[in-house]
Amino acid sequence: MLWIKNGIVVDPKNGIDAERMDIFVKNGKIVNEEDVRKEDCRVIDANNKLVVAGGVDMHAHIAGSKINVGRTMRPEEMRVVRQTAGKLRASMGRVLLTSPAIGYEYARMGYTTAVEAATPPIGAPHTHEELDSIPVVDKASLTVFGNWHPVFKYAADRDREKMKAFIAWALERTKGFGVKVVNPGGVEAWMYGGNVRNLDDEVPKWSVTPREIITELVNANEELNLPHSVHLHCNNLGVPGNYQTTIETIKLVSGIRNDSRQVLHVTHVQFNAYAGSSWRDVASGAAEIAKVVNSMDNVTIDMGQAIFGHATAMTSDAPFQFTLHKLTGSRWVNKDTEIEGGAGIVPITYMPKNPVHALQWAIGLELGLLVESDRVVLSTDYPNGGPYTEYPYVMAMLMSRRMREKELDRVSPYVQKATSLPAIEVEKTLYEVIEMTRSLPARVMGLESKGHLGTGADADIAIYNLNPNDLDPASQYDVVNREFRVPAYTIKDGEIIVKDGNLLKETWGRTYWVDARKKASVDSIDSDLNEFFTEYYTVRRENYGVAEYWMRKPERLEVN
Amino acid sequence: MLILKPKFSFDVSIEAEITPELAAKSPDEIRNFRVWYGKFEKRLEELFEITNQGDEKKLVLDGDFSKVKWVGMGMDDGEIVVKGNIGANCGAFMRGGRIIIEGNADDWVGAEMKGGEIVVRGNARNLIGCAYYGNATGMKDGKIVVEGDAGNYIGEKMAGGVIEIKGSAGDFIGTEMKGGEIVIHGDCGFAGGDMKAGIIRIGGKFDLLPTFKKTEDGWIGDVMVNGEGKIIKI
Repeated sequence: MLWIKNGIVVDPKNGIDAERMDIFVKNGKIVNEEDVRKEDCRVIDANNKLVVAGGVDMHAHIAGSKINVGRTMRPEEMRVVRQTAGKLRASMGRVLLTSPAIGYEYARMGYTTAVEAATPPIGAPHTHEELDSIPVVDKASLTVFGNWHPVFKYAADRDREKMKAFIAWALERTKGFGVKVVNPGGVEAWMYGGNVRNLDDEVPKWSVTPREIITELVNANEELNLPHSVHLHCNNLGVPGNYQTTIETIKLVSGIRNDSRQVLHVTHVQFNAYAGSSWRDVASGAAEIAKVVNSMDNVTIDMGQAIFGHATAMTSDAPFQFTLHKLTGSRWVNKDTEIEGGAGIVPITYMPKNPVHALQWAIGLELGLLVESDRVVLSTDYPNGGPYTEYPYVMAMLMSRRMREKELDRVSPYVQKATSLPAIEVEKTLYEVIEMTRSLPARVMGLESKGHLGTGADADIAIYNLNPNDLDPASQYDVVNREFRVPAYTIKDGEIIVKDGNLLKETWGRTYWVDARKKASVDSIDSDLNEFFTEYYTVRRENYGVAEYWMRKPERLEVN
Repeated sequence: MLILKPKFSFDVSIEAEITPELAAKSPDEIRNFRVWYGKFEKRLEELFEITNQGDEKKLVLDGDFSKVKWVGMGMDDGEIVVKGNIGANCGAFMRGGRIIIEGNADDWVGAEMKGGEIVVRGNARNLIGCAYYGNATGMKDGKIVVEGDAGNYIGEKMAGGVIEIKGSAGDFIGTEMKGGEIVIHGDCGFAGGDMKAGIIRIGGKFDLLPTFKKTEDGWIGDVMVNGEGKIIKI
């Protein structure tokens, strides 16, 4: 039992803004004062310290074949040794971290939940092996659906019942948490060397378009009422002028409602917010996208902020990765995942003086600043935009115009004319930034016990050496940037994991997965599945997927 | 000048990032200089007999150093004389000064070096003046001379400086080379794959890739990457 005393609590979900209060923890949960025996409690003195829920990273590539191929193709990443083996395991990596390092670095920053953003379905066993090697944090993985042949078939046939059955079957087999869609139709077109260029481009050999794939998946997802909405990586990613595709895509869901959450999450929007017609006249389309997102109440986004320095682009958007490889001349790995899609990996370094990189950096911030705080999540699309360990930098930048002005001095002047960043006066408050890193990502994911400090929440708590009542983030941006990197305490399920930035021990978090089989008739696609496996897969149906007992700490969320 | 002699025959490799700077340090600092013996961190005096003769920036390594890696790593000036053989990564990232190896050298001699000179009187193994795996650029400046034979991979991703092999060499000479010069007096295997610029001079027989065009004084390529590197027969 813990008694966190006199902390200054910021808890946006429960509307608490910098109030001095005590938090009580019992059996890994946050409880009311009367539920604990105070004399049995370990007291944590949080006097004048900021007490918030553990951070939730809802979009990061932390496990599975993509990051592992990235590690293989980038031996230079493994020359940074963060910690040699001792009481805890060795942890390495510059930006591409080893599995232990991923858990440790999240905990060191006060983050306690992380979601793997794209699991190729056939790669699910590998993904879960790696998730099982990531210590401390709670995890989940999003299964990639957007280029899977059965999805094309059911979308083309408008067979909603079978689509629902297929989603339920696939989430169970891959132990996935939700429906991820990456460049719908485009990766299939890439199998023939092409891509799709707009929402109405037909997918080769399938009489179906990206518009239909997205709409059918969103509707099926809503009818199943999964905890998370469709999680979409839009078409035309990384192409100048793509902001229009993004806006068109967002508007596809107007009219579809869900009372507890968004019906569409559009991810790493920075990469999909380019105006202009080529890399020569590329500009920001962030303001237009922000306007649309703000005008709708059923769509959320995350930033996909670019961080100057090393990064590795890795997405299931295989055609985009080829374009990036041709653009930068950097190493490239292409992956083909049978009838499910593909992926690509390309190393990249974001340089402040490079006009395009500076533009990407600025667009991420524009989105974070211009979109309302209850619909934009802070993310770097790790490791695509950069390391998640730089979230404190992004938090400080959102809160301080002075810091942004200082940073603008060192980046390419191209951003002055191509973006609205220099003119943006918005300074997010601490409350808003805590919302963007805690309560909002938890709400977007549908993880009710995460991202807040109300009674019944998981006791995932971060305590920082910051007193919100005594802090002016606009001028003290360096304090914000420093202190969010070194929590005084990170508490996970009621256990103290980090104290003063030092890891004390290693624990193992849960892996959430969603079981929607009760909401659909999986039997109805039995013969279809048999046909897919016999005709097209390299594995037999009975050998496909992940059994729950293989996983270290599975947590099944059943949809009723 | 410092003279180091192994105190015993080493079972596992040693990682000792020693440079001539060491000779200018106090006797205490020299004795306590940290090196790795396998997975154990040791003091220099636990592994080597140390003789100090004045503070001239010079190291003399006397005895079998074939298991000692990273000697002269990143050195700026001064001199290292190796009386016998030397272990891997000798002179990696070197910026100045001179290393003379009287015996043979292991892999990665002068990897990513930026200046200075390395002379190997015996043979050298693979990856001379190369970029470490994953890095974009190998040797940038300076000179490496091998008086005997050399192994595979010489000057991969090299951007400047000179590598001279007086004997013969193996395969993959100047792969992805961007500048500088490689001279092989004897025979060698494939040369210049994906080279963009720079010169490879070869005295003996070698394997020409089909992606090089004949010119008056040799060949130009690699055409696969629109390269303008030259291979010249001497």
